[in-house]
Amino acid sequence: MEAKPGVEKKEKDWEPRILAFLCRWCSYAGADLTGSSRISYPPNIRILRVPCSGRVNPLFILKTLRSGIDGVLVSGCHPGDCHYTAGNYNARRKFAILSRLLEYVGIDPRRVQFSWVSASEGDKFAKVVSTVVAEVKALGPNELFRLAPADQTAPEPVSPQR
Amino acid sequence: MKDELIAIVTKLFDEGRIHHFLGYKKGTLKFKTTPLIALNREDLQGLWVEDFFASNLALYLKEIKGKVGLLVKGCDSRSLVSLIKEGQVKREDLYVVGIPCPGQIDPGKVAEAADCEREELEEISRRGPEVLIQVNGQEKTFPKTRVLLDKCLDCQYPQPLIFDSLLPGEYAAPVPKTNPPEDDLHKKPVPERWAVWAEQFRRCIRCYACRNVCPACFCPRCIVEENMPQWVSPLPTVGDNFVFHLMRLMHVAGTCTSCGECQRVCPMGIPLMKLNDKMADDLRELFDFVAGVDLDKPLPFRTYRQEDADDFIK
Repeated sequence: MEAKPGVEKKEKDWEPRILAFLCRWCSYAGADLTGSSRISYPPNIRILRVPCSGRVNPLFILKTLRSGIDGVLVSGCHPGDCHYTAGNYNARRKFAILSRLLEYVGIDPRRVQFSWVSASEGDKFAKVVSTVVAEVKALGPNELFRLAPADQTAPEPVSPQR
Repeated sequence: MKDELIAIVTKLFDEGRIHHFLGYKKGTLKFKTTPLIALNREDLQGLWVEDFFASNLALYLKEIKGKVGLLVKGCDSRSLVSLIKEGQVKREDLYVVGIPCPGQIDPGKVAEAADCEREELEEISRRGPEVLIQVNGQEKTFPKTRVLLDKCLDCQYPQPLIFDSLLPGEYAAPVPKTNPPEDDLHKKPVPERWAVWAEQFRRCIRCYACRNVCPACFCPRCIVEENMPQWVSPLPTVGDNFVFHLMRLMHVAGTCTSCGECQRVCPMGIPLMKLNDKMADDLRELFDFVAGVDLDKPLPFRTYRQEDADDFIK
């Protein structure tokens, strides 16, 4: 019974963990500028630097969600500004399909967000992160893969096909 | 029809235009066919062209190299177009024989309609828009629409899109164009959809039949078998099944022609085609792309437009 207040406290103090894939040329530099401009933003994001938003394989996002992280942010250069000319255009197509699929299977689109932040947009980066953190916080922890009681029993062995 | 096919293929073998021919032969189970890979003209005697050729022979092109002839239905020819676009096969290496398809009967649906086990079905035959069956000495008839595979109900490509010769017969859609049944998942709010899909993913036993039967899945090494790093655990948990199925979809995006083989072979009856259809709808809506139809149009992820949708990006 003593553990109960602890659990409640833990739930109350819950803070989302968000993984941010930032493109090396724009968004990572933008995040750097946020810091050097002394703009504060929530500390809930863990930044992973990638060469380009086009480097972000949809598998990374799926794996991140599966590992129990509460939200994902992918950020790259504005269209037309890609260091590799078209990496973000290609990425945009993949993300458009992926985010619709995720929504279709029931993963809230606010858990997986995308943004364009250039190296000179330190204030925008802070705003994007604050919005994402606030939205994920409102959604609550990612419990999609937490074992439901039914998950601990073996699935029905009988094939539904006749 | 069999004689005509044998005549065509014998000629091809004699002229040395093909080294293998892919067709169907009678399966060991009732109302099933298995693929026949003919190496010479003698093997052709086993060919079967009567009925029940649901499987998509384009699948075997990833394993059979060299010049190949094969039988295709209208829908299968879209897989060929996709594979040619992906650079997996060369058009000049293929000799494509189109076969008229009156819509493939799903024995499972027949058994369900007749309220019996599949093994009890004695005879299935066609008569116009109806399907006649014999079960336990009784004769029953059902309308075609009730017993055809789901994909056949909305058949839009009854005639092969690429072919070198066509077997005689009628190349009309098996049923007049019907609107596919509405997907009620779209009506549900997003958080409720997960409960539905988690239940489906929970049942997946990860036999990989869907991957193995898919003509569009041709990676030499699949990510699910990679262990450095291990992207997906081999254990069939909801989470890993989710990663596997979604990743598979992303891999076949633009190549998947909604041939429906993944769902047909799924031993757990998971409605995988819902996901594929959803993706096909999105590709059409966002990028005006229909897989396996146009040889010249670039694949959706190999190209881009500056004005592509980005309303979902902050």
